[in-house]
Amino acid sequence: MRRRGPRGVRDHRAGSRFITSRNALRLLPLLFSVPVLLAGAVDAKVLRIGNGGEPETLDPHRYNLRLEETILNDLFVGLTTFDARGNIVPGAAERWSVSEDGLTWTFQLREDGKWSDGQPVTAGDFVHAFQRLLDPETAASLAHFMYPVRNAAAVNAGAAPPTALGVRAEAPRTLVVELEQPFPFFAERLIYPTGYPVPVHAVERLGDDWVKPGNMVSNGAFVLEDWQPHAHVTLRRNSHFHDADSVTLEGVRYLPTGDSHAAFSRYRAGEIDAIGDFPSGEMDWVRRNLVDHLRLTPLVSIMYLVFNVTRPPFDDMRVREALGIAIDRELLTGRVLRSDEVPSVSLVPPLVPGYQSAVPVMEERTARLERARALLEDAGHGSEDPLAVTLRYISGDESKRVQVAIAAMWKDIGVATTLHHTELKSHFADLRQGNFEVAQAGWFGENNPEHYLNLLVSDTGDVNYGRFASKAFDALMARAHAEPELERRLDLLREAEVVGLAEHPVTPLYAVTIRALVHPRVGGWHPNPRNVHGARYLYWR
Amino acid sequence: MTRFLARRLVASIVTLWAVVTVVFFLLRAAPGGPFDGERRLTPEVEANLRAAYHLDEPLLAQYARYLGMLLRGDLGPSFRSKDFTVNELIAGGLPVSLTVGGLALALAAGLGIAAGTGAALARDGPRDRWLTFAATAGLALPPIVVAPLLVLVFAVTLGWLPAGGFTSPAHVVLPAVALALPYLAAFTRLTRGSVAETLAAPHVRTALAKGLPTRRIVARHLLPPALIPVVSFLGPAAAALLAGSMVIEEVFSLPGLGRFFVQGALNRDYTLVMGTVVVYATLILAFNLAADIVYTRLDPRIRLGK
Repeated sequence: MRRRGPRGVRDHRAGSRFITSRNALRLLPLLFSVPVLLAGAVDAKVLRIGNGGEPETLDPHRYNLRLEETILNDLFVGLTTFDARGNIVPGAAERWSVSEDGLTWTFQLREDGKWSDGQPVTAGDFVHAFQRLLDPETAASLAHFMYPVRNAAAVNAGAAPPTALGVRAEAPRTLVVELEQPFPFFAERLIYPTGYPVPVHAVERLGDDWVKPGNMVSNGAFVLEDWQPHAHVTLRRNSHFHDADSVTLEGVRYLPTGDSHAAFSRYRAGEIDAIGDFPSGEMDWVRRNLVDHLRLTPLVSIMYLVFNVTRPPFDDMRVREALGIAIDRELLTGRVLRSDEVPSVSLVPPLVPGYQSAVPVMEERTARLERARALLEDAGHGSEDPLAVTLRYISGDESKRVQVAIAAMWKDIGVATTLHHTELKSHFADLRQGNFEVAQAGWFGENNPEHYLNLLVSDTGDVNYGRFASKAFDALMARAHAEPELERRLDLLREAEVVGLAEHPVTPLYAVTIRALVHPRVGGWHPNPRNVHGARYLYWR
Repeated sequence: MTRFLARRLVASIVTLWAVVTVVFFLLRAAPGGPFDGERRLTPEVEANLRAAYHLDEPLLAQYARYLGMLLRGDLGPSFRSKDFTVNELIAGGLPVSLTVGGLALALAAGLGIAAGTGAALARDGPRDRWLTFAATAGLALPPIVVAPLLVLVFAVTLGWLPAGGFTSPAHVVLPAVALALPYLAAFTRLTRGSVAETLAAPHVRTALAKGLPTRRIVARHLLPPALIPVVSFLGPAAAALLAGSMVIEEVFSLPGLGRFFVQGALNRDYTLVMGTVVVYATLILAFNLAADIVYTRLDPRIRLGK
């Protein structure tokens, strides 16, 4: 934007001085760019954000993708929400209380909470929303986010009617939620779109079309103005939002920038004000030329290697441990990835607040290699019969570089690695079916330890890709899940992690970094481990 | 002619059916499903989703259901763009692809035929060599190389044209040029070869000997027969250009059909892939048929239906 203005002016002057036929030809592109300039002028207050892909739905109950969450966060507000730094703060509820046993949560809704058509947001809207989310007919892909609510799983499986769900409106502005088991992280769970209210009056009138532009009624800082598939989603400021006075952006336009190279070009051409990713190969150029635009944010997330413990030789703990300790995480993050990733020996990301992992720090690498070779020797994979493994990863430049580095590290202990890559969907389909030996995997999302440790619980299902099953670990996790008191619960989780990782079902590697470019004119973009940047907190400098 | 058209129409429908059938079963054979995402689904949730999209029925029943819908002109709901039907998506994407592709086709065919004729008329001269070299280079450089270069030069460095998106006429220029280049080269080479050959034909030599003006010889005697191979290339070229290029649409962030196809395939969006395939196949069949009809206008020796 800043660049286009002066350049346009300069070109105009040159053009008016010599208009010969040859120069007229040169003016042609300028002529074409007039509409672009005009469009730029009209939308000057609309923030344009590269959102990494096309949303599949803007129905808060049917969504699945992170990039949909970004848009939905601007359109709706749940009982709780996050501030500019990603902390959990009151949203549509102004306060709440939890019963002694941790099972009953009572939310007091704000007096001034309104839908974008001026109707009040009521406790009934939330009751209806929770029932709609869990109704099997809605086919909500993330319905299980609300399984902590009493009878939620039964309702979702069709075994109980939606009215059996543990939510009720005690008064027009008082909502009571009963849980199956104590869940101290429920306030965090409610920031996701699965916990958003839906306008009963609009859904009943319009059915599934209520999410289309022109129909959608929402209660967040913005309303849906326009959605052209694969072109843009445009939001406009909602004057009925309870905190509308503090919102300064007139609108936000989300662009489905699926190709990070194309997004980067458009960012450099001044067509986008912020992008959440750019090609890793451009890092050096960016550090030299756009350093005041670069925002590197470690994300609460964990990249790890998972072993298929049902397949020999990976059913042998010594083999898993040897492969795990041979990896040099600092080399991966510092030399291969080089975007300030945080190495981690803990499966719970190092950024999760209030949780200090007790997984022991490892000895220095030469000693580790020594021990790894001894472990392999013990397991019958000495120099006469070296171990050969197939490491599977998701296609992509960056992940290839990481896996090649890991293969080289394994070569140091005499292991021959075959690399095998497939695109994301096939990769995870194979992992879920247990069709692998060792594979790259990642997990992100919530900012609490359970979200990550649940991956290793034996009845977790196919996302426990390696089919790890440990009675000791399961017992500790079950005790944690039943514990209402937060500190005691965290202690149990800490203990469970040490016990679980001692069997090396996975090798945690690092927390990924979000490589964003944000124009220096955009204010209010605070790096935070959730990587959430509500447009209501952003402003033009 | 009518009999010819009727026969070709029936053959086209059979071809279309075969394409639909093969793609339908190939898609189902690909690993992963439309509901595998970055987040896991519980078995209950997955069952709900499969029921909502009739994926819990036997494959043959699904196939019959799809053919039935297709006959009614209904391409079904998109599995991934849950708020839109495939008809709505294609109605939005096809005009974008047609606009960019149409401009590219006009550029490629118009300039290509002119350049090819020019080169053939100046055979073995410097102009011919220069044009042939440019055409070879154009063929050798794929859009995936040329398109980002165009963006770098004209959008990022010079700032003349937008780098991506589809909101003004200016947004069409770079993608159309990038898309046209290899076809422009192909049209040039094809025309040059064909015109050069026709130049040696007796009727053209007669016309030259009679001393007719060059302009008239080219327009009346040289081009009509020389353009026959060019016209037969026009059919597939038009289908390929108008149906939308995946590469170009990705690079320039155009909301066109090619992008839907790629995204649909990556997301296992069965109905969207099927829908775009139906549109592609129809375009290809239609343009080939059109090319066959144009033949008869150019070459009276070709009689259709015999």
